[in-house]
Amino acid sequence: MTTAAAARAPQRDKGFFEALAPGGRRVFLGLAAVAVCLLFAFPVLWLVLTSLRPGHGVFYVHRGTEFTLENFHEVLSQEIVLKAMVNSFMISTLATILSLGVTVTSGYMLSRFKGPIPNAWFSLIYVFRCVPYVSWVLPLYFVTRALGIFDTYWGLLLPHVAVHVCFFSWIMKGFFDGIDPSMEYAAMIDGCSRWGAFWRVAMPAAVPGLTALAILCWLYTWNEFLFALILTAHETPILTVVMAQFVHELGMEWHLMSATAILSLGPALLVTVFGQKYVIRGLKV
Amino acid sequence: MRRMTTTRRAFLGLDEKRRFMLALIAPAVFALVCFQIVPIITGANASFRDWALHDPKRTWVGFKNYLYVLTDPEFLLVVLPNTFGFMAASVGCSLVLGLALAVLLNRKFPGRGIVQTAILLPLMVAPVIAAIMIRWMFNDQFGIVNVVLDVFGLPPIAWLTQRWTAFLAILLTDVWLWTPWFTLLLLAGLQSLPPEPFEAAQIDAATPWRTFRYITLPMLRPVMVVCIVIRSIDAFRTFDIVWTISGGGPARATEVFSIYAYVEAFQFLNFGRGSAAAVIGAVIIVIFAMALYRILNRWVEVSK
Repeated sequence: MTTAAAARAPQRDKGFFEALAPGGRRVFLGLAAVAVCLLFAFPVLWLVLTSLRPGHGVFYVHRGTEFTLENFHEVLSQEIVLKAMVNSFMISTLATILSLGVTVTSGYMLSRFKGPIPNAWFSLIYVFRCVPYVSWVLPLYFVTRALGIFDTYWGLLLPHVAVHVCFFSWIMKGFFDGIDPSMEYAAMIDGCSRWGAFWRVAMPAAVPGLTALAILCWLYTWNEFLFALILTAHETPILTVVMAQFVHELGMEWHLMSATAILSLGPALLVTVFGQKYVIRGLKV
Repeated sequence: MRRMTTTRRAFLGLDEKRRFMLALIAPAVFALVCFQIVPIITGANASFRDWALHDPKRTWVGFKNYLYVLTDPEFLLVVLPNTFGFMAASVGCSLVLGLALAVLLNRKFPGRGIVQTAILLPLMVAPVIAAIMIRWMFNDQFGIVNVVLDVFGLPPIAWLTQRWTAFLAILLTDVWLWTPWFTLLLLAGLQSLPPEPFEAAQIDAATPWRTFRYITLPMLRPVMVVCIVIRSIDAFRTFDIVWTISGGGPARATEVFSIYAYVEAFQFLNFGRGSAAAVIGAVIIVIFAMALYRILNRWVEVSK
């Protein structure tokens, strides 16, 4: 719309937004923000409330008046829960470190090189990213048993890394696509090896993106359920699986499960609050 | 390769390049092969055999399992429409909501930090927990939703024992879980848009809606395409929340594809058929993902 056309056009329809005075606009935004907050926070708040009710109180969660910390006490006194928290934390952290290490080189290769090898690798990753977990979860059980790593850290870490390779290589490629390769060429002309150019020039530039991915990867592994269920037993309890154990034939022990869920949310909340700034900054391509 | 050996010294760069490329992906290839490709091949192998738990012989039966699945009316008339319908509805709703929220968060207003943290809450919650919570909230005797309905004088609804209301609960869970993911990625996309077109639009006195529709949306298309494709693929594979909320629904009415494969393998104890269903689903989603990627890419090209 040129200015001449705008001058000739009849009076513009006032959109809803302009109809509100600036103060009204702010109120509208504020209300929308509150509504959104409530909608997203409600199930979590409900969870917190349920975890604070005594066992018989789950049937009047919204009406009851008793509050108790006994659920947390009971849950934390079970050794399996404590072990599970430690295991989950270790697995999440180790899986994040390993996965990032493996996928950063993979993404770099996909970004910087052209030809049959990168194309083949990209197609492979894309195809295997689409395969539903249910297709390989049972055979994975047999594979880890055969390798003798079932129910150990490695037995859970390596399959997670395999999944992350498909998830994150593509995103890593995007990050490296956004970094100008001329710096690396300059470094190589100055005598740097290819690996040196990658490690000393490209990697530091990719750190914001890596931080964002590290946080997402950590959260994803922390909350992962299916692999933890199939690939662990008594030696290596994992928190998400332990949470599900409160389901019995007699019915669910909602209060205990809620308490464990809140314990599981704790570290995730810390990581998210600490990292959300980096996630948004890092995801800018 | 033989041709290059004689001139190897001249093409040293090329050879070294190939070696570098392969070295870069070696650990990833190792993990992928051992822990994804080998299990999938094992699973595919099982799909060609008559493998039921009570029958230790695993005789080769060719495509019998595949034929069974592909002609099963449950699969064709219930599971496939459910899965694609769920995928379309979930991705559509999450995209629209996520976009709205991203636009909202792009402006500065007091309390923005709190809103941002609140929106990110669902990302921290494990899907299984969210599903359990929704199941509890929609409980027909004690759930909060029926309590609210009661306050308004409406009769309670048996949410989880009817097909469409159970579907609604599942859809709600999925949208709740994934809208923040869309919001994050779209917000990052919005924040990296160049300001010049917006300044030009302001000079031309364009309304916010027109700016949004003709400038913001087209520039955001690449990010939206990636989000839609990734989320569609994951929505197709949903298992946790459907299983937790409805277990496949009243009389298998809310079954999606992953549940169907699981039920065949672990409830009917026919691993051969379950693996065949899983392979068929994998093929469907791979073809669909490639088609979707191509269609959306063409859409992006046109918009440029």
